[in-house]
Amino acid sequence: MDGNGRWASRRSLPRSSGHSAAEATVIEVIEAARRAGVEWLSLYAFSTENWRRPRDEIAALMLLVRRVVRKHAPLLHARGVRCRFLGVSDSRVPAPLARDFADLTLLTGANRGMTLTVAFDHGGRRDIVEAARSLLRAGVPPEAVDERTFAAHLPFPDTPDVDLVIRTSGEQRISNFMLWQVAYAELVFPPVLWPDFRAAHFVECLHTYRQRDRRFGGVAPHANGET
Amino acid sequence: MTDSRAPYPGPRVPRPSAPADDRAPGPSAPEEEGPPLFGPGSHFHRFFDDPRWALAMIRATVLEAAHPQVGAALAGNSTFVTHPWRRLRNTFLSLQRMFGADEAVRQREATRLNRLHARIRGTDAEGRPYDAMDPGARAWVVATLFETTVTMCRLGGQPLDQATLRGLYTEFRAYLAVLGGADDDLPATVEEFWPYFDRVVEEELEGTEAVRVILYKLFDHLPAPPVLEELAPLWAAGRSLAGPVIGAITIASLPESLRRRAGLPDVPGGQALAQSAYLAVGLARFLPDGWSSTDGLAGLLLLSPDGDDPRARAVTAVRDGLKRAGALLRLLAPLPPEAEERAPGGVGRDAEEFFRTVLDQTGDGHLDWPDLAAMAREVAGRLDLDEPEETRLYDAFALWWRELQQALDTDGDGRVSAAEYAAGVPSLAGPALIRVAEVLFDVTDRDGNGTIDEEEYRTLFRTGFRREMAEAGVSYARSAFVADFVAFMTGRRGSDAYDGLLAEA
Repeated sequence: MDGNGRWASRRSLPRSSGHSAAEATVIEVIEAARRAGVEWLSLYAFSTENWRRPRDEIAALMLLVRRVVRKHAPLLHARGVRCRFLGVSDSRVPAPLARDFADLTLLTGANRGMTLTVAFDHGGRRDIVEAARSLLRAGVPPEAVDERTFAAHLPFPDTPDVDLVIRTSGEQRISNFMLWQVAYAELVFPPVLWPDFRAAHFVECLHTYRQRDRRFGGVAPHANGET
Repeated sequence: MTDSRAPYPGPRVPRPSAPADDRAPGPSAPEEEGPPLFGPGSHFHRFFDDPRWALAMIRATVLEAAHPQVGAALAGNSTFVTHPWRRLRNTFLSLQRMFGADEAVRQREATRLNRLHARIRGTDAEGRPYDAMDPGARAWVVATLFETTVTMCRLGGQPLDQATLRGLYTEFRAYLAVLGGADDDLPATVEEFWPYFDRVVEEELEGTEAVRVILYKLFDHLPAPPVLEELAPLWAAGRSLAGPVIGAITIASLPESLRRRAGLPDVPGGQALAQSAYLAVGLARFLPDGWSSTDGLAGLLLLSPDGDDPRARAVTAVRDGLKRAGALLRLLAPLPPEAEERAPGGVGRDAEEFFRTVLDQTGDGHLDWPDLAAMAREVAGRLDLDEPEETRLYDAFALWWRELQQALDTDGDGRVSAAEYAAGVPSLAGPALIRVAEVLFDVTDRDGNGTIDEEEYRTLFRTGFRREMAEAGVSYARSAFVADFVAFMTGRRGSDAYDGLLAEA
């Protein structure tokens, strides 16, 4: 979800209005993903590094997120979307916002339509550190640790590997996003800024993804000439 | 009140209860073929499962509280305002033990009650001494239970016949006898009981502070029982309607002379209201078996959200639905303007909330010895402690109270206000608190093997071991237990388990 600030400054608006404009995109992308049959959608809303932003911008953003969550909660629930929030462990997350996150998670917990994971106050490295801590606390012997058991200690261990990462506004970095799960992800970098990103762009990204040749480090299963 | 609270009223040797071997339940030894005094065949058991008991218990409590001695003890020591559901459950459990069929259980419960009451004494706001072991006051409590049961049937339109009346009275006298009451604490026959009752109402009862609290404060602030706590907004709405009605019913069902003396309002149409309420609730008897059993209801109300009682699983489906409804309600509720402006205090609770929900057990706005005694009482009750462990626990809490008083009571009035507490939070983890944690560990560790296993954990917290601990097969070691307890008690870290023990309504 990159480019809100740039979107706003190109229009000579305060940065916070860029975040407001992003609301429509968020809802549109969720709906587009649902219609396209995507079962797992994750949105990177706020990283552990974003706390370095100006205090006012953070405060406005928190307020906005709270309004968006409350406004769209009934609709998300009605559409059968299971919502959950990855991260949200910093004490700077306002308590009422954390409460709303918990309520939305609770409300939609039994839904099976699509799982929407909102990474909020998220850092991929921190998740890995947390998993390591959890392993140590559980007293798992070193030789019993493999990739599968390690992944079971990550937050939301049911999350499958990420297939496709879409990063808007032309930035080409991972920026600490779900580091463990993006190991074999395909990456696309549409130049459009997040507030301008629309369902059509999303479908285009899916199309690009389908044309990629995913080999997971092996050779292509169907080489030329074979049937 | 000042002189009563400063020193820790050391435990006294309780009056010996009736010896277990040759039981002499009261003066008029029952006829040989009469119904059993206790156990399933008794009169008491017929009424215990009556749904009208809920209303009747409120009325009985008001009558109790109108007795100056009992009222002072309630106002100074009881947790019924802040933790009414916990208190209710403990009362039911105690009555069940006292009127159950098992003689050994009854004797043990009587001894426990006597120990508990022996620790409750002091002076009221006007400097009059009170003592929960006072024979007259104790007899009055039993008298209100009996009289209320009778009135419950009268108001419900099914007055008891003389034989039942006599039988029931004998049972309540026997109850008092097991507690160690003397033969003449209550009149020997039911015919002599009514003049006694009227005399106490006429001459001794008054509009105590405790009566006002029960009638006007309790129902306005009655917190949702733990099982419904997700629905707090809905509960509050229902309460604002039901609270005054229950209050009116209770007032109308009190003796006229008490209403006059205590300055309670005359509710227009109150008598009819009370009668129809008892009649209507009485009809619940015709519901299928188990729907209205006091036992079942009391248990259900007290199910804590994360307890692992088998019934908890049975109501989980309903509760999950309720929880979701509660979440949706909260999300839909309009945002109060600038409600978000609260300083980001973080995940840990702030000092004020901790003071209110955990430390101030009696809900009088101050931290005082009765607050810590109430904690000790709850722990001792849950662990079903005997002597000398119980005294060890109380002594540890008493030492901690002295430590708190010295560190926090800056204005020297003998108690700690919320402001004094907030100012002194950092200096809270003194050696006496650590001592409390250690004693708590010792008494919880029943088999004394130096760790708290799943069973022992469950006895204290009524909930299962935390999952990650159970999975890894580890148990609670002393150092970890002490560290967790101290972290909770200084308000540094929240804990679902300790909230269930000390903060739950």
